[in-house]
Amino acid sequence: MSYRLKTVLLSSIIVFILIQSPLAAGAAEPRYGGTLRVALPTEPPGLDPTTRTAAVIDRVLYNNVFQGLVRINGEGEVVPSLASNWEISGGGSVYTFYLREGVRFHNGEELTAEDVEFTFNRAKSEAITIPHPEYFAPIEKISTPNPTTVRIELSGPNSVFLFNLARGDSVILPKGVENISSHPVGTGPFEFVSWKRGSSLTLTRFEGYYDKKLPYLDKVIFEFIGDVNARITSLKSGSIDAIAYLSSPENAISLKEIPSLKVLQGVTTWEVILAMNNSRKPFTNHLVRKAINYALDREEIIEGATFGFGEPIGSLMSPTNPNYLDLSWLYPHDPVRARKLLEEAGYPDGFKATLTLPASYELSLRSGKIIADQVSKVGIELEIEKISWAQWLQRVFTNAQYDLTIIGHSEAFDISIYANPDYYFKYDNERLRQVLERAERETDEKTRAQLYSTAQWIIGEDVPSAYLFSAPSLPAMRKEVMNWWKDYPIPAVDVTEVWINDQ
Amino acid sequence: MFGYATRKLLELVLTLLLVSLAVFLVLRLLPGDPAQLVLGVNASPESLARLRSEMGLNKPVHFQYLSWLKGLFTGDMGDSIFYDRGVGILILSRLGVTIPLTLLATLFSIVIALPLGIFAATRHREPGDFGVVALSQLGISVPAFWLGILALLLFSVKLNLLPAGGFVEWGVNPLGAIKSLVLPVFTLSVIQSAALTRMTRSSALEVLSQGYVTAARGRGLTEIRVLSKHVLSNSLISIITLIGLQVGQLLAGTVIVETVFHLPGLGRLLILAVEQRDLQLVQGIVTILVGAIITINYLVDLAYGILDPRIRLR
Repeated sequence: MSYRLKTVLLSSIIVFILIQSPLAAGAAEPRYGGTLRVALPTEPPGLDPTTRTAAVIDRVLYNNVFQGLVRINGEGEVVPSLASNWEISGGGSVYTFYLREGVRFHNGEELTAEDVEFTFNRAKSEAITIPHPEYFAPIEKISTPNPTTVRIELSGPNSVFLFNLARGDSVILPKGVENISSHPVGTGPFEFVSWKRGSSLTLTRFEGYYDKKLPYLDKVIFEFIGDVNARITSLKSGSIDAIAYLSSPENAISLKEIPSLKVLQGVTTWEVILAMNNSRKPFTNHLVRKAINYALDREEIIEGATFGFGEPIGSLMSPTNPNYLDLSWLYPHDPVRARKLLEEAGYPDGFKATLTLPASYELSLRSGKIIADQVSKVGIELEIEKISWAQWLQRVFTNAQYDLTIIGHSEAFDISIYANPDYYFKYDNERLRQVLERAERETDEKTRAQLYSTAQWIIGEDVPSAYLFSAPSLPAMRKEVMNWWKDYPIPAVDVTEVWINDQ
Repeated sequence: MFGYATRKLLELVLTLLLVSLAVFLVLRLLPGDPAQLVLGVNASPESLARLRSEMGLNKPVHFQYLSWLKGLFTGDMGDSIFYDRGVGILILSRLGVTIPLTLLATLFSIVIALPLGIFAATRHREPGDFGVVALSQLGISVPAFWLGILALLLFSVKLNLLPAGGFVEWGVNPLGAIKSLVLPVFTLSVIQSAALTRMTRSSALEVLSQGYVTAARGRGLTEIRVLSKHVLSNSLISIITLIGLQVGQLLAGTVIVETVFHLPGLGRLLILAVEQRDLQLVQGIVTILVGAIITINYLVDLAYGILDPRIRLR
């Protein structure tokens, strides 16, 4: 099934769900006012999205409080945010941004080009430690010809630069700001009020927001409720309005049955993969890797691990990404062919290997059991080993001491991790590196999209990992909560345009 | 009495020091890189190295321990990496939940257990006794989180009488704070009181068979007076011992109950700190918890001396 067809089907399911609600059918005009209480499973580690990478910081603050020059919208596209438009010149190495006028920070100061300059100089300075210096490394020179224009010169053409500017890492801060980790000051439609550590974080409507029509809500409270049952009880009892992510898909089924609630179903940037250690035998052999791929029955895995809510994938690109190429059909379930390939590779009787799983990730554990069963039918005997997340980071991720593992890669647009031979996949492919490097430099959009298709095709065909599914987003909320993002193309719970349809 | 108290106090300080050293070493042995957990799996190696040195993780372990200990004596427990705040402030802010929770739970479990236990003892091998024994057996077997969820489903979802978790701060709305503690206290005290009831029953039974009880009855004292004056006061030593021993278990119970009712207490702070490898925070909380357990046991030791002067002489 093609992606487009799926999108159509998915959206018709959503439309169907919406139509079922009598309240929603009558109300097209958004209502103003109200307090929205949103449950999140984890609490942010500080509130500075530029120095910490935890997705939950962006979930709370991205576009709600902090905004960048550009942003990712609900469809996964890079769209204007603080910059109303921009020009790319100098063969793709000079970006000129024109700032929106009348934008104010929550501290009352007006946004000028100097704030942008300050933000990127800060990111490049030694004074702070940031997780991804590589996002800003290409910046050679920043100049501000006038208060609303920022000219950024890069060391060379770079097409991912714009996407990197849309990440939470690149939000614009007011000049000279300090302590954003405990008191964030941005330009978004909501301003920060308080963070009760261990329980909740409150945002309130920012009266000085440049778009006078937004936001609809008066107040947003993010409640940090670690236990999944506690989240569900809170939603059922009405003490919260929405659960941003249902981490256990089986609960989506039971919550859907409750007439006062609705569950949306969309895709995320969370790609669950069966990673193989390409430096260890027998996974050095592409025939073995392909055999494993033929041995897998993705539908059964998706059914068993996500109760059918996941979306099959065939390479490491989220279906939310505009460059996405559906390759999930490339290795259909074919045990006979799998056996043949194993024979060709010199393993007619199969082999034994260890499947190392992070014990705290339910999706990994469930998929692992099913996969062990599926590959056993072609003679591959997997011994499952469960370890803690911290151990996983050390043994598998840092030291690459593993045969196979199952993990979700959550960062948006992260296909380039396959170009790094030191990454825990230990996958070394010169051609892929060249294609990705060219794509990063390519300024023509069409050619670039083609290059990304090629890159997806290379890993989709050579299968350094087996790509399983994109984890579902499954936000659940009471029926009156409108305009919620169905897909999560970036880790964000953007409530800018959410409204509550209460009478 | 004074010598007894000082000797016990010295023991307390020594134990605390040993425990803090043990905790410190165990934490350093745990797998997992705190810097990696902060910066994420795709962080650049240079950034990781910088953060590690900012956290002081590249210094020798004995140096880290001594500087932590020095800080402790000057009232500075270090900073939490996760919250970017002082450990002391964070712990203090959680005590408003955990102290009332544990104190009320202990109080209620005593209020439930003492009368029930003595009642059962006086009705030995009668239906009333069997009923109490069966109930307490049930209380011991029921897991705290399950009882908590059941209580939530009944009182919050079905009857909508009490909040489904969360905590309203004392300063904001004292009545709301009490309301948010009702179910957690109930859950904890049911489980605490079960063991306490059994202990009260068995020690009361033992005392009831003593000659001085028969003598007291023979002197024509009312049954209430016999029970309160002779039976209860002579059973107290073993009951207080159990309360002291249960403190550790009670604190473990708060971790579970705080999770089920998502209360911002010390137990949940500890879980978060361990998950995030927030070493200073774990160290601080564990030291405080162990300190509390040891102090309570110290008080129990002192109480022995008051309840039974013979113990002081040992």
